[in-house]
Amino acid sequence: MTEHVEAKSATLADELLGVVQAVEGVSAVYPAQPLWQSVAGAAVAAVTGEQLPLISLTEQDGTLAIKARIGVGSPLPAPKVAREAAAAIRRHLGNVPAVVEVLVAKIEA
Amino acid sequence: MPDSHPWKGRNVTGSPAVSPTAQQPLDLVPDALLAGRAADGDTAAFEALARRHGPLMRATARRLTGTLADADDVVQESLMQAWKQLDQLRDPAAVKSWLLRIVGTRSIDHLRKRRNHLALDDLENHVDAPSGQRTQDPESTAVNASRVDALKSALTLLPEEQRRCWVLKEFNDLSYEEIALTLNISPASVRGRLARARIALARTMEEWR
Amino acid sequence: MKTPGDALECGHSLAELSAYLDTGEIADPAHLDSCPECQAGLASLRRLSELGNELLTADVAEAGSGGDDWMQTILDNLRLELRPGRSIPLRAEDPQDTLWETEGSVSALIRSVADSFPGTAAGKCRLLGDITEPGAGITVDVEIAVVYGHAMEERAAALRNELAKMLQVQTELDIQAINITVTDVLELPAPAMTPNTEDQP
Repeated sequence: MTEHVEAKSATLADELLGVVQAVEGVSAVYPAQPLWQSVAGAAVAAVTGEQLPLISLTEQDGTLAIKARIGVGSPLPAPKVAREAAAAIRRHLGNVPAVVEVLVAKIEA
Repeated sequence: MPDSHPWKGRNVTGSPAVSPTAQQPLDLVPDALLAGRAADGDTAAFEALARRHGPLMRATARRLTGTLADADDVVQESLMQAWKQLDQLRDPAAVKSWLLRIVGTRSIDHLRKRRNHLALDDLENHVDAPSGQRTQDPESTAVNASRVDALKSALTLLPEEQRRCWVLKEFNDLSYEEIALTLNISPASVRGRLARARIALARTMEEWR
Repeated sequence: MKTPGDALECGHSLAELSAYLDTGEIADPAHLDSCPECQAGLASLRRLSELGNELLTADVAEAGSGGDDWMQTILDNLRLELRPGRSIPLRAEDPQDTLWETEGSVSALIRSVADSFPGTAAGKCRLLGDITEPGAGITVDVEIAVVYGHAMEERAAALRNELAKMLQVQTELDIQAINITVTDVLELPAPAMTPNTEDQP
């Protein structure tokens, strides 16, 4: 089963957020968990003041699974921006084994 | 309902018989029908409801949270929650007060979340203060403003719980029971807080007169 | 200067009067009519209530109409959140990567192109075919409304070209056809938005 990587993952998720936001053509990073799925969890988050990390990070058998949901807003083609975002995440991770998932949830022409 | 949409659709003679495209024709459909259709998954009906009650939801959330930007977040979250929970709406004709109750709950959640991020002082300065005059004497600052502006200022000086009760009553015409459910307090508390809010506001307004 | 406190000298309280205004219930209704203090208290609370209504009216007017941009933005966001639709795979450089576009993001883009096109407004929009399978042949169905006075055939053809270009750039779908159906003609009652007369048939 997957398990959440604790403290170090919070830092890494933050770093990756910066990396993805810096990719040309990325106009927004949405919570990897769609909002409506976290509506029930919102009450908990409200009490604890915790923000769900925008970039989701899980680990399974020593392999990191990274998930990012982005909006694209530029003349650059959305598929190209998605590939560039994945590549930027990989560059940041170096040799760490990882599966990267990038979902384009919004395209602004 | 305001009938402000700029164009009215009409089917082209000889065009394929298809349903009207835009949401505009739904503007005339009563709440209960729209809510029923929305509960069946009709997104156009849901959007028509959102357009119809959105301005009041936004105005309410603004008085509850303090800013229009927060209000828009709250309206969006509220509509999202409403769409997910439409099947729990017992009386489709009461969809308006149901939406407003969701707005009340989510406004308070929104503030609570922020309170956990900001120091209380920041929050107090941030909430309301429509003219940035929160710390000043309303009597002196409001002297040249309209009575409505004076009420706005007086509202910002109320304890938060009292202001919530007042907004939910006067803006949304919710019953004591509905307000109690929204704020998670007893109807007796609603009655007391509302009375205290009105007494304080009335006193300020009488002095101002 | 008289400052109304909670307790009135007649033994009633403003809190009781406040509840009476909402519920119409009070212990001895007959007293109200004859008690000047209660009458003054009620009048004060009613003035406040009227003022509250004025504030509400002003706030709702300030909030704008449900047809304004702020609501459209909210509804657009809701669509993307609530109805992402199917996931359309994109080519990845690394075999360990999975990249997608949501169907919702593509249909929202199609609608926005149609909406920003002069004289047209988007209605329903569908991607027909197995968009989850790379290389599958896809047909796009778009319903539009055309503003009265715009040549329908010409509008549809121009929009088809525009959509084809956009889908080529922004997706990797193999688009085989774009069907545009004019389902409505929109009349502009206001003189402000009258279409150009030169476009009239």
